[in-house]
Amino acid sequence: MAEALQKHTQEERKILLIEDDNVIAEEIVSTMNCHGFCVKHIDNGDAGLEAALNDEADVIVVDRMLPSADGSGMDGLSIIENMHRQGVYIPVLVLSALSDVDDRIDGLKAGGDDYLTKPFVIEELVLRIEALLRRPSDTRVTKLCVGPLEMDLVERRIWCNGSEITLLPREFRLLAYFMRRPGQVLTRAMLLEDVWQYRFIPRTNLVDVHVGRLRRKIDLPNQESLIQSVRGVGFQLRVSD
Amino acid sequence: MFGGLVSNCVFLTDLFKTAIFRISFMALLAMAGVLVAQFWLIYTHVESVEADRLTKILTEDADTLSHMPLERLKYVVNNHIVDDLHIFVSHIEVFTSDRKPIMGNIPTWPQGLETDGKLHFVKMRFQNGRQYFLHVLAVPLSNGHVLVIGCGLRFLIEQKITLQRAMLVSVVPVFFIALLLSIALGYRALSRIKEMNIAIKKIMGGDIHERLPVRAKQYDGVEQLANSVNHMLDKLEHLVEDIREVGNNIAHDLRTPLSRLRSRLERALVMVESEDSCKASYEVISQAIGDLDQCLAVITALLRITELENTRRKEGFSLVHLGEIINDVYDLYEPIAEMENKQLLKHFAEEDIRVLGDKHLLIEMLANLVDNAIKFTPEGGSITLSMKSMREQVILTVTDTGIGIAPEERQSVLSRFYRSDKSRHVSGCGLGLSLVKAIISLHEIEMSINSGPNGIGTCFCLVFHKVCENLEFCKAKVIAS
Repeated sequence: MAEALQKHTQEERKILLIEDDNVIAEEIVSTMNCHGFCVKHIDNGDAGLEAALNDEADVIVVDRMLPSADGSGMDGLSIIENMHRQGVYIPVLVLSALSDVDDRIDGLKAGGDDYLTKPFVIEELVLRIEALLRRPSDTRVTKLCVGPLEMDLVERRIWCNGSEITLLPREFRLLAYFMRRPGQVLTRAMLLEDVWQYRFIPRTNLVDVHVGRLRRKIDLPNQESLIQSVRGVGFQLRVSD
Repeated sequence: MFGGLVSNCVFLTDLFKTAIFRISFMALLAMAGVLVAQFWLIYTHVESVEADRLTKILTEDADTLSHMPLERLKYVVNNHIVDDLHIFVSHIEVFTSDRKPIMGNIPTWPQGLETDGKLHFVKMRFQNGRQYFLHVLAVPLSNGHVLVIGCGLRFLIEQKITLQRAMLVSVVPVFFIALLLSIALGYRALSRIKEMNIAIKKIMGGDIHERLPVRAKQYDGVEQLANSVNHMLDKLEHLVEDIREVGNNIAHDLRTPLSRLRSRLERALVMVESEDSCKASYEVISQAIGDLDQCLAVITALLRITELENTRRKEGFSLVHLGEIINDVYDLYEPIAEMENKQLLKHFAEEDIRVLGDKHLLIEMLANLVDNAIKFTPEGGSITLSMKSMREQVILTVTDTGIGIAPEERQSVLSRFYRSDKSRHVSGCGLGLSLVKAIISLHEIEMSINSGPNGIGTCFCLVFHKVCENLEFCKAKVIAS
């Protein structure tokens, strides 16, 4: 994953974690430390909001449901609302034990930038934080270029090493999503949610099949694939060339 | 003995509390009241008729007597007294003009009497000290004397007594018979309620197979109520059994991966202890995580089904193009079918068919059906998505050439965790079709499961209601239902 960290390698990337479950928090903190993040953990909403306003974190990870001593309840969503009211816009990832789709929508409406349902794979959390730290390239860009690939977003055409490739609309969107995030590891769940906008699909290998198809169309024979599998996690568009 | 008395008392108070007793008792009271009123009316009528008659007789008699010659009058007055032949006229007296008695049986001038030839009602005290009420009438005689004739209330009193007797004879037995009847009815109702209470206590005690007693021949309100309660109990029993079965299935489905997980972790522990190769323990631990994921997937799917069964979601319904949904699911699954060497086909006229629903849920439903169809279709087989538009309905079918579902299994495949014997080898948590069922019942889609063409494979047939022009109206209708 080392190459995925390019942008922030020099500077320490600060994460604020507001989570009341100490066991999960400990796991998150140690994993994030391994990935070179500096994590500050706070276990209640009120102190969490204060830290969010003053600590200048790069990303905030907040649990949707937080206990509070006096019952006045500063839960995850009201922390985000308070931050926004005070003009603080830091990317926020909301963690929740609720799987309800409506809750996910609530979470995003309240200003969360991403939403992850418990139980989750910690690796997935790390990758989503990475994604939040490096928001995709400007949406106004009409041409994308990654390695041998060249994409015209207006005319919806794509070339590899100068020769044009025809892709189905779905495949085009998938590749565009990869090309906007070169070198970044994208999990299956992220692809399903963002490219297909689905959240509950019965088969886990569905994304793999689609990526496999895309590979066959864009890869050159006898060469390493442009989209690489990251073991147990997801896929990554290769940039080193 | 004492206990018996107490229980009798309790029984009686219970009896008096029964609705049927109260109603019949009230009817009884009303009836008695009506009877008494009737008798009172008859009595007052008779009384007034009698008074008229008396007035007439006394006036006529007074007229006759006043025109008699004095000697004759004397004779008649004396005869009246001596012979006691008076039937109507019981009292007669001739007074002087200054109201002194001359002859007859009224010793003093009755108080309040005027010599006006009209009937007066007076109270008189005689020598024997008894008081009488009399109707009296005074007429002047030709010689300046005054003739007073009167009659007692004997007839009226007799009539009153007769009527009272008649009333007692008719009202009292009726009252008692009705009272007995209402007690009997109340007792019957009470005993039925008691039987039902015993049954209900048994049911509350946990015996869900118990039912309320129903007497086959009678079909009154209580019986109907008992019947519908029994139907409700049947339904509840069915649901409880369902839940019990689901509970068993959850336990079973979780136990398998959990026990595998346990033995894997045990092995990992031994490996770590004996400082076995790190790679091997990595393998074991990642397998263990896989097992755990399987458990979590089961739990997530169950929570999701529960969430979908909450109809609150209907509020978020909007117009959805069915064709788009089919295309989306086709795009999603076509590569999978191809990879597994199966054919995914779609057949429908590209027309604008819209239904009311939640787009994501409908996609999820169709994805589950297609996923299922692909799973159970052997290599070389095909899965067809088709849509037909009827007058007010749209029929969407998912047909496969797979192993098929036996007719007797077609209902049970929709229940949670159901796994056909034929499908034991296929992976999955057994909740896909229950999820489909939850989504179709949320959308009020009718679904039937049939054999595919030529009896091969399975055909899931979904009947949607086409959306009418007025969206708000449709929405209101769906939410209301």
